[in-house]
Amino acid sequence: MALGLVVIYALSPLRANVLNNAYGGNYDPNYFFLGQLRSVVLSLIVFFLAFKVIPIKTVQKFAKPLLIVALSLSVLLWILAKSGSSLAKCELGECRWFNLGGFSFQPAEILKIAIVIYLADFFTRKKKEGAIGDLKEFWLPLLFISGLSLLLVVVAQGDLGTGVALVAIVFGMLLISGVPMKQYLIFLVATVVVAVGLVATSAHRMKRVDAWIATLTGSESSDSTYHIDNAMLAIGTGGFTGVGIGNSVQATGYLPESINDSVFAVMGETFGFVGLFVIIFIFGAMLTHMLKVAEHTEDSENRLLVVGVFSWTLAQVVVNIAAMTGLVPVTGITLPLLSYGGTSMLFISFAIGLVLQLSCYTSREGTKHEDTSSRRRVGGPHHTRGRRSS
Amino acid sequence: MPQNKKSFSRIKILNRVVVFALAVILVRLFFIQIIEHDAWVAKADEKHTLLEEIPARRGEIYMMDQGEPTPVVLNQTVYQIIIDPAVTEKTAIFDALSSYAKDYITADLEKIYGTEGLRYAIVAKNVPREIAEKIAEEGIGAVWFQKTNRRVYPEGEMASGLLGFVNLDGVGQYGVEGSLNELLSGKNGLLKTTSDINNVALSIGNDNIKIPAEDGKDVVLSIDRGLEKGTEEIMAEHLNSSVATNASVIIMKPQTGEVIAMSSLPNYDPGNYAYVEDASIYLNYTTDVPYEPASICKTFAFSAALEEGAMTPWTTYFNEHYTVVDDWKIWNAETRSSLYGTIDMRTALYWSLNTGSIQALRLLGGNPNSITQQGREKLYDYYYNKFRLGRPTGIEISEATGFIPDPNEGWGRDSTYANMTFGQNLSLTMIQTATAFSAVVNGGYWRTPSVVKYVTSAGDGDGRGPQNVLRSKNFGEGESPAGPAESKILSDETSATMREMLIHNRDYKARYGIDRSGYDIGGKSGTAQVVKNGAYDDTMSELVGGYAGFIAPTGALPEYVILTKMWGEGQAVGSGDAMSLFDDLSNFVINYTKLKPGV
Repeated sequence: MALGLVVIYALSPLRANVLNNAYGGNYDPNYFFLGQLRSVVLSLIVFFLAFKVIPIKTVQKFAKPLLIVALSLSVLLWILAKSGSSLAKCELGECRWFNLGGFSFQPAEILKIAIVIYLADFFTRKKKEGAIGDLKEFWLPLLFISGLSLLLVVVAQGDLGTGVALVAIVFGMLLISGVPMKQYLIFLVATVVVAVGLVATSAHRMKRVDAWIATLTGSESSDSTYHIDNAMLAIGTGGFTGVGIGNSVQATGYLPESINDSVFAVMGETFGFVGLFVIIFIFGAMLTHMLKVAEHTEDSENRLLVVGVFSWTLAQVVVNIAAMTGLVPVTGITLPLLSYGGTSMLFISFAIGLVLQLSCYTSREGTKHEDTSSRRRVGGPHHTRGRRSS
Repeated sequence: MPQNKKSFSRIKILNRVVVFALAVILVRLFFIQIIEHDAWVAKADEKHTLLEEIPARRGEIYMMDQGEPTPVVLNQTVYQIIIDPAVTEKTAIFDALSSYAKDYITADLEKIYGTEGLRYAIVAKNVPREIAEKIAEEGIGAVWFQKTNRRVYPEGEMASGLLGFVNLDGVGQYGVEGSLNELLSGKNGLLKTTSDINNVALSIGNDNIKIPAEDGKDVVLSIDRGLEKGTEEIMAEHLNSSVATNASVIIMKPQTGEVIAMSSLPNYDPGNYAYVEDASIYLNYTTDVPYEPASICKTFAFSAALEEGAMTPWTTYFNEHYTVVDDWKIWNAETRSSLYGTIDMRTALYWSLNTGSIQALRLLGGNPNSITQQGREKLYDYYYNKFRLGRPTGIEISEATGFIPDPNEGWGRDSTYANMTFGQNLSLTMIQTATAFSAVVNGGYWRTPSVVKYVTSAGDGDGRGPQNVLRSKNFGEGESPAGPAESKILSDETSATMREMLIHNRDYKARYGIDRSGYDIGGKSGTAQVVKNGAYDDTMSELVGGYAGFIAPTGALPEYVILTKMWGEGQAVGSGDAMSLFDDLSNFVINYTKLKPGV
């Protein structure tokens, strides 16, 4: 988060400048930095609340209402957007935000954490009922919930990135829900087939895939390969050590979404391979640590929740970075904790806070007389990681 | 717990997914950032590097006005207004343009907004700063103002032939703009820098190169603005009352060689130079186009014979109205019977008799009855070497060379030289003629004519340098600059005698009150036949009229020399028209310059 803040601080005047020049806007040079600073402070508060104040059981109690609220918000946004209300904020034809006078809010982000909490509850309940793998009791409700969520996010809000994250969450949690591997694989293949079908039938999505293939094959750049071309140009020019803070040229307007979705590319230009290696290493450590927490969590619901957060984080990190390096098509997804964007940072911080809270329980559930030492052992890396990433 | 074990092993799968995915990404990054790094840097340089000429400021042109320089050619910063139709609000820009910049709109807005996918459109050009500022204050989104420079000629068409213009590429054409283009334009600088997406230079990057522009010099002409304006007004009046369609005038100071008025009518508007019917209007007829000054040249032939001691004004010869040279009969224009018989040279000049000037050539050759080689060579020596006719004068602006035939080569040399005594069979520019005439009357000094008073750099203070800083013009092959700025070619006595005869030429003008008392005004007319189909047109259907004269306070050396020329295609414009133009101009010059009369 601190790293993100530094980069956004360096980029903020550039971004403001680009917008001011292109659209005659009147952004203060520090507009984006202050925005990010506000988000970071809020996120830290939320993180602390999730980590220390709100007991996990309380959160889990509200699994169902939370999901209903999240889905309702998305439906509400869709209705507002359809009716052309100014409460729905739209950019480039996609309506993803509530406009609440001076600050905006993205309901898809709340949907992600709601799904994680709900599915943890759902899978645990079904397991207790012995209904895992049952078509009527298990698969149909699961399909309904995930289908509805995807419909709202991908179709109504045009947010493919969040869609990918949702799918990853479902599959990650499903994997350790205890569902038979055969059923899991069938579901996976079926989902892939449906996904390919949906992409192939949508001109807009096919264009992105075409652009991606064009980038991979090194064909002539065009308007549609513009984003990937410029992201890779930024990363490529960074070299081993980068051009240094504030010296990114690509961020002066060549690279779209330089402070949001493309922040990784700008970091690549700024800090070079060394910087990106450190960033990826931190994410890797964070992700493997979450898995370690999951492994040490005896409580099934808690473990599922940790894996849900893990899947969510993994999806965002991998899909964002892979897109920036031309490995997968661009989907429009933020890089957790680093990208400019309040809602995204707020909710991922909350989720990570919950995981950390659970990591403390793991020690309690371990051998009692080793309580303090194991606590230190497990707790140590948390703090190290926490410091690195925040 | 088998169930838990299963989920633990499945967590290991997730662990491998993490390791695998991040490893792939790291390999990919290594590939892009380390292996392909140079290629990406090259690609980025190509994209980010902005090579931009820093335009040098073009020098401005001044004329003198009551002794102070006053601008007649200026630079104006104007703006092009560019919009992005996808972002710029149509009604807002439409209202702003129609209320402030109506005259500058260059595009059809309806059409622009009807074109799908258009992101860039120039909607107005040459918009002055204050209007551009008003539109900018409206704060309409995605409107750009691009600075450009425009040449402005505040005096409109005045002196267009002298000033010239600047073409769309910023290169001076014709006149001062063309002749002194290099000096005026200065040297463009170069900026090589990293730029952002809008091509705005960034401070990022350390291989930025900047060669500063060297601004062009300001040129201060010796031309007097008020005199030039008045001269052109008088010329226009005379063109209106004459069959002539064109007129050219040089007014210069014979004591210095400074040209204080130089004009050719009709004029054109240098700010809208493209709107002319015939490109010949761009020519500066006083320097660019040679002609035959006709009988004005008798002053040069008579000066030569006087200076050589071959004759005096009172030397006589027998006038038969014609004389035969090379078996050709050369007639006088004036054949009144009272002139038949023995007359003196002063009378011959008064009546502009060709037999008189041919007699001067014979006398130069030492034989009053025939033209000799010595006579031809002496006339050539005076014309070419002393009066510097038929060669560039060295004036700062472009000029034609003209032509003087060789005294010893070619067929019909005697008749050619006989014709040269009355200004035919040679070709001279008006500036050559006016400069030579000045030498005849100013005490015998040939002085390099000059139209540039001084050159100064903007911000260089006053910067008055030596007057002749510009004598580095490139001359073509076979052309040579006229030599030193001043040389004594005639004695004081010869010059005084010539002045007396030239004043005598106008004795009736004083009688009729055209020439005012207190001033010595002398002059010589010239009417040239034109060459048609390789021979002089004896039908006299087309004639070019000219007049050279001087103004002096009585008893003093001349202060001003005026040379006029009037012509029109297919029109017989006699010297009477050119002389009457001189009459009005001489009075105007006396009034304008408040020349004190002598006693």
